Order: sequence, then structure tokens, then C-alpha cells
Amino acid sequence: MYYVVETLMFFVRLLLPFFSIIIVYTTFKSLKNNQRIKTPLISLKNKTAKKQIPVMFWENSIGRSRSSDIVLNDPTVSRDHAVLFRREKGWIISDTNSKSGVYVNEEKIKKPTQIYIDDILTLGSNSLIVKKKDSLNFDDGFDILSSSEITSNKRHINQFLLLLIINFFHFLISLETYFTHIREVKKEKSNFEFKDIFDLDKMFNCLVPFLIILMISWVFFFITKIVFKRKNFELEAIGIFLSGTGILILASQNKVEVIQIQIVSLIIGIVLFCSLIKIIKNLEKISKLRLLITIFATLFFILNLLIAKEHNGSKNWIFIGPISIQPSEFIKVAFVFSGASTLDKLQTTKNLSGFILFSAFCICCLFFMKDFGTACVFFVAFLICSFMRSGSIRTIILSCSAALIGMFLILKFKPYIAERFSVWQHVFENSQGVGYQQSRALTYLASGGLIGVGSGNGKLRYIFAGTSDLMFSTISEELGLIVGISVTFSIALIALFSRSYSERCRSTFYSIASCTAGGILVFQSCLHVFGSTDVLPLTGVTLPFLSLGGSSLVSVWGLLAFIKASDDRTYSLK
Amino acid sequence: MKNSRKRSIILLLLVLSFFSGMIFLITKFSTNAEKWAFKPYNLHLSLNSFADAGRIYDTNSTVLAESIDGKRIYNEDSQIRKAVFHLVGDESFNISTSIQNKFRDKLFGYNFLSGIDLPSFLRKKSDVYLNVDSKLCKLALSELKDHKGAVALYNYKTGEVLCMVSTPTLDIKNLPNDISSNKNKDYDAVFLNKILSANFVPGSIFKLVTAICTFENIPKEALEKTFECKGKEIVENEKITCAGYHGKIGLKEGLKESCNIVLGNFAMTLGKNNMIRTAEKLCFNKPIKTDIGETKESYFNLSDANKASVAWSGIGQYKNLVNPLHMLTIVGAIANEGVAVMPKIIKENKNNFLNHRKSKNSEENCIRYTTKDVANKVKEMMSYTAKSSIFYKFHNFNTCLKTGTAEVGGEKKPHAWVTGFLQNEKHPVAFIVLVENAGSGFEEAVPIAAKLLKEVTKET
Repeated sequence: MYYVVETLMFFVRLLLPFFSIIIVYTTFKSLKNNQRIKTPLISLKNKTAKKQIPVMFWENSIGRSRSSDIVLNDPTVSRDHAVLFRREKGWIISDTNSKSGVYVNEEKIKKPTQIYIDDILTLGSNSLIVKKKDSLNFDDGFDILSSSEITSNKRHINQFLLLLIINFFHFLISLETYFTHIREVKKEKSNFEFKDIFDLDKMFNCLVPFLIILMISWVFFFITKIVFKRKNFELEAIGIFLSGTGILILASQNKVEVIQIQIVSLIIGIVLFCSLIKIIKNLEKISKLRLLITIFATLFFILNLLIAKEHNGSKNWIFIGPISIQPSEFIKVAFVFSGASTLDKLQTTKNLSGFILFSAFCICCLFFMKDFGTACVFFVAFLICSFMRSGSIRTIILSCSAALIGMFLILKFKPYIAERFSVWQHVFENSQGVGYQQSRALTYLASGGLIGVGSGNGKLRYIFAGTSDLMFSTISEELGLIVGISVTFSIALIALFSRSYSERCRSTFYSIASCTAGGILVFQSCLHVFGSTDVLPLTGVTLPFLSLGGSSLVSVWGLLAFIKASDDRTYSLK
Repeated sequence: MKNSRKRSIILLLLVLSFFSGMIFLITKFSTNAEKWAFKPYNLHLSLNSFADAGRIYDTNSTVLAESIDGKRIYNEDSQIRKAVFHLVGDESFNISTSIQNKFRDKLFGYNFLSGIDLPSFLRKKSDVYLNVDSKLCKLALSELKDHKGAVALYNYKTGEVLCMVSTPTLDIKNLPNDISSNKNKDYDAVFLNKILSANFVPGSIFKLVTAICTFENIPKEALEKTFECKGKEIVENEKITCAGYHGKIGLKEGLKESCNIVLGNFAMTLGKNNMIRTAEKLCFNKPIKTDIGETKESYFNLSDANKASVAWSGIGQYKNLVNPLHMLTIVGAIANEGVAVMPKIIKENKNNFLNHRKSKNSEENCIRYTTKDVANKVKEMMSYTAKSSIFYKFHNFNTCLKTGTAEVGGEKKPHAWVTGFLQNEKHPVAFIVLVENAGSGFEEAVPIAAKLLKEVTKET
């Protein structure tokens, strides 16, 4: 009788990797499908040069510089002359410290000014008439057929299916957990009977977390579709896939309270996701909010340093009554917020010193908290953000060399970190010492093989930080390396999504924010996966979406909001 | 916005480096997974470790270990269990060179694709067949009595290892509880297979190496030159002593009588460089490769030796250390016209998983230690030694041998050695016996070797 259970369980173990691949493939495909044909929004008729200039983006820099979105090859035009951008109320032109100024209908503008169809813009010796996109001469090769209209119906069904597949994947994990419990019964009992297969109590325990996630995912889906009227759901689906998998893996053995916290965090995370998208919708308000958020984040860090007690070697937790939170996780979201900027602001204030100061402050605070992994994440976020803003490779080289010097100093003055470096690639020789976690992670990773030992049947979760800092190996041990890789690949997919949106989004604010957020997710996954498997000499960061930890889960959904916001379809047009 | 797109390449680079790191990890995983999985602390193993593993057979298909009803059962004879303890191994992987450690993936049916927890009916577990004869091992163990030591026999033509015993040993069925504490130091080196993983002061058996060196470099003198043995000799204010007073003596008699003065003088005549060259050709200072792992390397270093030290080194003292299995390949090479066949513990024909390995005596498994001519000349001298009246026990079989009594310093008794081989077409067997801190090689080691050779030649 017991062989039936074994065979069924083995079958489920084979199905899980299969479905994880399907999920990653489907989302990847929809990412590719999303790449729409470019259509101009309006056009500018250059009276002097007698040329039609299509306006392709929501924010366009106009100038002599070749990297401008609209190039005016004329010595009377400044390199970065003006920015033409679209907001809720309409099209606006803003002078970005040009020499000769910008004239709308022959009136020099002093502040960003709204323009209308048939207005005449004068930049240097160029006169541009604002025209509707329809007035374009289509022989130029511009295809205005909106592909999104054609494919939208099909994509809608795909998303529905995708969510169903994800639900089924989650169901399989729960089923596997149930089989693991049956196995445990078998180990205790010598005579295994048919009725032992049905244990209602255990079945209930395994199914409840699954049903909750099922519910959350569909409520979320219908809110997105009906209330927000958004056409796409891929990013949210990946988020649900990852968070749900993490929660179900944790639920397979952990205590009920832990799972409750995790589920509540997921709900808070989704709420934060929806509200952040709403908050950053209005780009005019953002510039005021940014300063406020930066100040708030600074104070939060100072508070953290003042009242935090040392917990597992680092001081990054604060305890408020029964709730414990990790401020650095939330500051990640604030960091992205304060780093991003709209194009007209970028063109006028070119220096980064404020942002550099804030970044340096954050990284210093994390050093004092001894949270070096998160400090690295912040550093990379800073690199991406500053590069997206300035495009200067020099800044990157300078920052990296500063980081190298910093690293050298740390190694010199913090010998226990140097110790971790010294066992790098030699963890098995120190399997009882510094290499304890890594050697266990590798051993159990190998024990799992490609299909895993079954959810709830893993041993790595009982090692210290097994479900947080070593979560990748725990998942790979229990569900197999294929699922482990699929899960991390879908995080990388999120980053690819954010890159694919970066051109079409409504403002550079969104593109910078989404690339930074995507970069944080990928880099943190890098640190987590490669740190715990001894490819890199570092540990101590969580795997986004999957690791145990409420603050981390909430903040990751916050980061996802930036990526979602950068998709121009997120905010429906009036 | 064009710039945003351009600059977002930094994110693409990050994702690409993530993918390449992943590829690196997967490659590492696919090549090392088995090494990573089988660690003593792996709870998946300790909970149901050998519940369902393959069998281990000796050369006569005697079962040395098998799993029945979720338990690992070993041979019923406690003496056999003890004799093959280091070879078969325990269930906690304490003996790194044991079969249950080295071939655990095959015994378990593990591969990195399916992981460790495959249902038993799907697992493809294999049995392991050994060349070793457990009865011979049992005899060797009983002959060693309570002494610490090591015995090995191997076929110098095929490389098959017939016997491999190392003491102190344990009975796997009745493992004592206080091993980990090791209070009385009773369990020192109990998990060490001395044949493979240890090296010892060789004493006079090293004179074979000096003899090979002599024939290689000064073949004429080797046959003709004599020295005057007065029991001792002063070299640069250091004394070289000899157990006997042999008078005028050459290499042939010197080997037979194991005269230190002759061999010491030959070593000095040859000089550092010649000795080092020969030692290196004979694979000193590097491990010998076997199918269950590499041996500990034999040690030979004259870099800061003075003249007297060279002499002492030529008679097997000074800093010299030899690994028993390595020494066995040296006498094997002398027997086999200068070619050493590397030892094989696992039987090749019966098990599928080793079939891909190259067939017998391929170049990889053989190393030419010296020329045929030199080997035959040393062989002749060893044969002459064995025919000496004191070795009457060996007179029934055509034997070549060399004994050794290695001073180990301190208050301890010397190590007793004997090594040699049979000149027998049917039984081309080389042997080595080490009895630690027992006394003279002739008294302690030789009887053991004689018993074993009798047993080997008896069975047909």
C-alpha cells in the first residue's frame, strides 16, 4: 500500500520542475510579446528644415546633442535645450537652461508651459509646429497600427491560464507536503494500512495555506483587472508565484504563527504595491514627496542605530512590542524613490552630490549595523541609479575604487570577515567552523538533486538561517535544483521586464526607479544564491520574495511597484 | 528617454553576470554533487544510510557487506570483519579510502539528477567486487596477533591486490562507544588504512633502492667493488654502525647480510644526485594512484644532508619514509622486469560501472621504474638472499626477498619489515609485511610472510 504513496509522491516531484519551467517560459514569452511596435505620440513640423519630426516618448529631450531624443542640428540650439513631456493635463515644454531660450508662440517661457496643437515652438533659429500624429506622412515608414489592440485579447487569456498554472504548482507543493507527512507516519508505524493515507487533520494543515494563497491571488487578479482595469498581470503573477512558493515551503514544517506573519506580510506587500503605484502616478507631487521620504529614511536609519539591539551578529532589527521590523528593507524602497528623477529635473540639475551623500549615509549606517550584505545591495543600487541618471562611466569607476578601498579597510579591521574570505572555495575543510553554513547548503543542495527530496522533507531548514539566508539551497533541496533555478530565473526575468519598459515608460523617473529596483532584486539574488553556495565569499542576505521575513517580503513588493509603474499601460489613459 | 534605454544596459550586464554565475554553479554542481552530498553530517544519510545499499564481494564472491531489511549486515566471521574493516569501511565515512566511502554513490545508487531520496524501486544500485581474498586477510590478521602493523599482497603482473590488512582494527558489528573520546589512546590510527594512508621508516628494505641506484649508475662496481666492514665506520665525525662484523664485503653479500657499511659506502659513492634521481624514478615524493584513491607519498629528501646522512639514507634511516603499498610496487617492479603495475583493489570484469576504465596493464596503470637489466640483477641478489640458510621457510617456493629492521628512535623497539615476491608463473605475488615496534624483521615479519605465501601457493 505504501508503494502507492511513494510512487505518487515521486510523480509529483517530477511534475514540479516541469511546471516551474512552464511558468518561467510563459512569462518570458509574454515579455517578448509585450514588445510593441513603436508609434509616435505627436509630431513636430520643422518649418525651417521642412521636416516632420515624430515625438516617440513621453519625455523627450530636445537639443543639439546626438543623444537627445529630438536632435536639432543647428548651432543656435544648446546641447540640452529643452524637454518636451506629457503629463495628465497635456503636453508641456520646459526650458533646461538653454542659452537662447524657448519661445511658445513667440513668447519666451520662464517656467514649464503647456502647449497645444498648432502652437509654434521656437528654439534657436528653429520653429516647430505641434501637430497630431495623424498628420504624419506615413511613407516615412512609421506604422501606426497599434499591436496592443490586436493581441490584447489573447494575452488576457494567457494571464488567466498563467495564474491557473501557478495555482496548480502551489497545489502540487501542498500535495507533496502532505505526502511527506504520510511518510513520517509510515516511519513511526510498522503496519501501514490503506486508511493511513487519509489523515484529515494533516490534509487540512497542508491545504489551508494553499487555499489562502489561492484566494489572495484571485482577489488580486480581479482587483487589477476590474478595479484598476489593467491589461497585464505578468509581473504580479511572478510575484505571486515566488511569494506563494516561499510561504508554502515554510508552511510545510514551520509553526503556524510564522506562516501567519508571512501571509499577513504578503497582503501588506500587495497593498503597498497597489498604493505605491497610485502615489507615484502624479509626477508633480513626487518631487515634493522625494525630499520628505529621503528625510524620513534618514531618520529611520538613525532611529535604528539608536534603539536596535544586537541580534545574530548585526544590529538591523528594531522591536516594537511583539512586532520586529528591519528598517533597512523599507529604506531600500525609499532609496529607489529618492534616486529617481524626471527628465526635465535631470537636465537642469546635473550634479549628483545630494544623492551621493544620502547613499553614503545609508551605506555607512549599514556598516555600523554590521549588515555588510545589505550594504553591498545599497552600493549596487547606487551604481545603477547614478549611472541611469548621469550616464557617466567615470562615476562608476570612482565609486568602485572607493568601494575597493572600503573593502580593504574592512578586511583589515574586521578579521571575522577576512576569515570568511579565507575559507572561500574551501568550505568543506572548515565544515565545523566558518564554512558551516555553506558546506551544509552545498551538501543538501546535492542531496536534493534535480527533483528534490520533497517539500517538508529537507534537512537544511533546521540549520541556522536555513529558511532565510540559505533559502535557495533549502528550496533546491526540497523541490529540486530545477525549481531553484526557475525561481531565481524568474527574479532575473523581473529585471528584464524592467529593462524592456525603460524606454516606453512615461517618465525617466519610472525608468530609473524600475531599473534600480530590478537591479536590487537581481543583485540581492546573486548575493544570496552565490554567497550560500560558495561561489562568492559572502552571506547574510535574503532571497527576494522567498525567504522567511516579513519586512523583506513587504519591501520586495514595494520594489515591484516601481517596475510595474514603469509600464506605460499601468496608468490607463483618459 | 533614448538615454534611459541606452543606460539600462547596466541592468542587462547585471542579469548576464547572474546567468553566468548560475552556469558556473550548475557546472560545479554536476561535477561535484556526489562529493558534496556524502558528508558525515548529512542527515539524509545518517537516518537511512546503508539501509538499502549494494553488496560488497571479495574475490571468491564471499559477501563482505550487504543490506537486508533496512540494515547493513557484514560478514558473519568476526575475524574477517576485522581484517577487511579498513577496506570495507564503516557507515559514518570515517575511513576515507574505504569502499563504502569511495563507492558510496554506486552502492547507494545516487546520482546528481535524482538526488538522494529516490524511491528504492527506482534506484539503480550496484554491487562492488574486490580482488581481495578475505580468507587471506583473516590469516594475515591472525598472524599479526596483537601487533600494530600492515600486510599487503599483490599480483605484480596484473596489479590485483590479494590481501590488505592494517592493525589496529575494529569489529564493525561491535564498535566500542568510546572511540570519539579515545581516552587510553587505544584507538589511535584505528581508522587509518596503513597500507594506503601512512608511511614508515623503511630500514633495510630501502637497501633495494640503493642497490637499484648502484646498478643504474655504476654497474661494474656493483658486481666487483668491496668495502671493509668492521662493525662501524666514522664519516666526517659521524658514526655509521653495522649490526655485524662482515670484513671484506661486496654488494651481493652485503644485501644478503644486510650490511650497513657496504650500502652506506655505495650511497656515498653514488652521491646525492644519483640517489635522488633514482628515488624520483621510483616515484618517491609522489602518491601512487590506485582505484580507491592515492596513497600517502613516500618521503625521500637529501637537500640538506651531509655525507654521513647520505650513507644513513642509503640504508633506509635518516629522514626516509616509505608507504607500504609504494614499497610493494617497487619489489613488484623488480619482479616484473622493471615495470611496476599499479595496484587494483576493485575487480574489473564483473562490475559494469568500471568497464569504461582502460583494460589491464594499459600504459596508465604501469610505470617503468627501472630497466629490465637492472631489475633482473637486483632480483638475482634478492633470490640469493632468500636462499640463505636462515630463510629455510621459504626454500619450498622460489622466493626473492629483503628484510628490514627500522630504528624508530626513542625507547621504542624497531619496526620489523619483510618484502619480496614469488618467482612463480602461477602465483606472481609480491608481498610486504610490517610489524610496528616488534623487533627484528627476520624474527617478527618473516614468519608471517611465510605463512601467507604457503596459503597463496596452496590454493590452486
